[in-house]
Amino acid sequence: MNWIDWIVLLLTLVIIVGYGIYQSKKDRTISSYLLADRSLPWYHITLSVMATQASAVTFLSAPGQAYTDGMRFVQFYFGLPLAMVVLCITFVPKFHTFRSVTAYEFLEKRFDLRTRGLTSFLFLLQRALSTGLSIYAPALILSSILGWDILYTNILSGAAVLLYTVVGGARALSYTHLLQMGIVTLGMIAAGVMVVHLLPPQVSFTDALNVAGKMGKTNAIDFTFDLNSRYNVWSGLIGGFFLQLSYFGTDQSQVGRYLTGSSVGQSRLGLAMNGLLKIPMQFLILLVGVLVFAFYQFTTPPLHFDAIPVNKTLQTPFAGQYRELESKHEALQLAKRAEVIKLHERLENGDATEIAASRKILSEAEKEVQSLRKESAGLLSEATGTVVNDVNYIFLRFITDYLPAGLVGLLIAVILLACMGSVASAYQSLASTTVVDFYRRSIAKNKSEAHYVTASRLATAFWGIFCMVVAQYASRFGSMIEAVNVLGSLFYGVTLGIFLTAFYFRKIGGRAVFLGAIIGELFVVVSHIADLTAFLWLNLIGCVLVILFAAVIEKVWPEPRKQLTNGE
Amino acid sequence: MTKSEDGLPPFVKSWTQLYYLIIAVLILLIALFYWFTVSFE
Repeated sequence: MNWIDWIVLLLTLVIIVGYGIYQSKKDRTISSYLLADRSLPWYHITLSVMATQASAVTFLSAPGQAYTDGMRFVQFYFGLPLAMVVLCITFVPKFHTFRSVTAYEFLEKRFDLRTRGLTSFLFLLQRALSTGLSIYAPALILSSILGWDILYTNILSGAAVLLYTVVGGARALSYTHLLQMGIVTLGMIAAGVMVVHLLPPQVSFTDALNVAGKMGKTNAIDFTFDLNSRYNVWSGLIGGFFLQLSYFGTDQSQVGRYLTGSSVGQSRLGLAMNGLLKIPMQFLILLVGVLVFAFYQFTTPPLHFDAIPVNKTLQTPFAGQYRELESKHEALQLAKRAEVIKLHERLENGDATEIAASRKILSEAEKEVQSLRKESAGLLSEATGTVVNDVNYIFLRFITDYLPAGLVGLLIAVILLACMGSVASAYQSLASTTVVDFYRRSIAKNKSEAHYVTASRLATAFWGIFCMVVAQYASRFGSMIEAVNVLGSLFYGVTLGIFLTAFYFRKIGGRAVFLGAIIGELFVVVSHIADLTAFLWLNLIGCVLVILFAAVIEKVWPEPRKQLTNGE
Repeated sequence: MTKSEDGLPPFVKSWTQLYYLIIAVLILLIALFYWFTVSFE
């Protein structure tokens, strides 16, 4: 990065943190600090839920995923619009009616304290771990650019967010989300335009997609029903629906965002707009990754995209072996490029037989490249003594190697801002659950509002530090975007099962749902360890099991019904 | 404006219409992505 990039990056970060603090008001009540006095309009909610979901991982890992695996990941989001509809019809009015600060408060009113406690605990566990991964993503970037140890960059990434989250509360979060999403959209559009601009003059946008498509990267839709396939239309629609419903309906980091709406209607419209915008946005991010893949068909890519382990290895006795792999890779890429140019010409001529022949040769060449990349990762891991995976570095390396000064700084800022948006919401949701569902409910009842606001600020600081510690161990996961989603799937289905039982199965009591949830969670964890199915289906399995077990337990061991209040 | 219409965008007459619109857009997107997959593969 040169000085222009540094100025753009630092200026963007200072503006965001300063704007967040400027927008904060003196919060005297817990509703003001955690829910901005329930006063925000729909567009705040749309952008805030989008900024919360779209972490740095979205902008860093998704293009890398498209580069290695194609566009099929977009199907993961197909359940989201359907989930938004169910949320608008059921969850939003319920939470507003009960004037809940957290989603879990409702569960005590419907069931009992232990169900509220169990669900809150499951949330704290998975959210704290996945927030650690969200901090690790931008820390990785800073580590790579500055050459600093990941420990210091983890602290830096997590601490900047912590500052305005502790000071500003929900209002600051929402206003910064607006600004962050504006800058992020601008940055990603600029990146997409630049990739197309960097293609050879004779290769157009459509040509690039044709080349990438012939090499299997434009695979956005797969109608095959296969329980072991991670991404297809059915896993996206069914498994994704349950995951998204659970995430937006039961994860306090999202519930806390739409509870800031000034009315049921404003919260509904905010979520509905998210349902319309999310899939096109994710498609465009993946498209950038496919274009980067196409670009590297005409320009030799590095054998391994993360420069740090490569530089370390070159200082060890493994250097010779690595250089040998690099030479093989270079020769293979040159041969592949010649074939890609042939394919490009054949596509213009439209000769189907020759196109098929090129496609076959390129498919074999791509397999050899992947095999070499795997071999190099193994060698780097052996030489450095750490697990090496470069999926998350692909887009970053492209940015730093090929984009002009100023734009590099802007895109690094985009990735950091996306991180700040999701991590800020996570810190606040962890704090609100800790204070509202545990501290205020069971430890320090009947204290003043000022006391709980102070407790919320302290809890935010505590969780911030905890998540930074988790981030330190995040490098052991592969693609971070998948790691976050796998982790969520272990808990979300069960949590959703508890909420759906609360909304739709009115004869089932607290004891049955509590026991059903524990048994269901055990099944989900065992299914994951035994690798019985792709992770998206765990959401459906967990949800269905909780409802089934709770229904059976209620039948054989019925509990006297609890009367609901607040008009229920 | 009645309480139930608060937040309703001007291009729909009821919340139910908005929900149908969301589902219709999802179907349209799947169809477009299918066309994209088939066209470039």
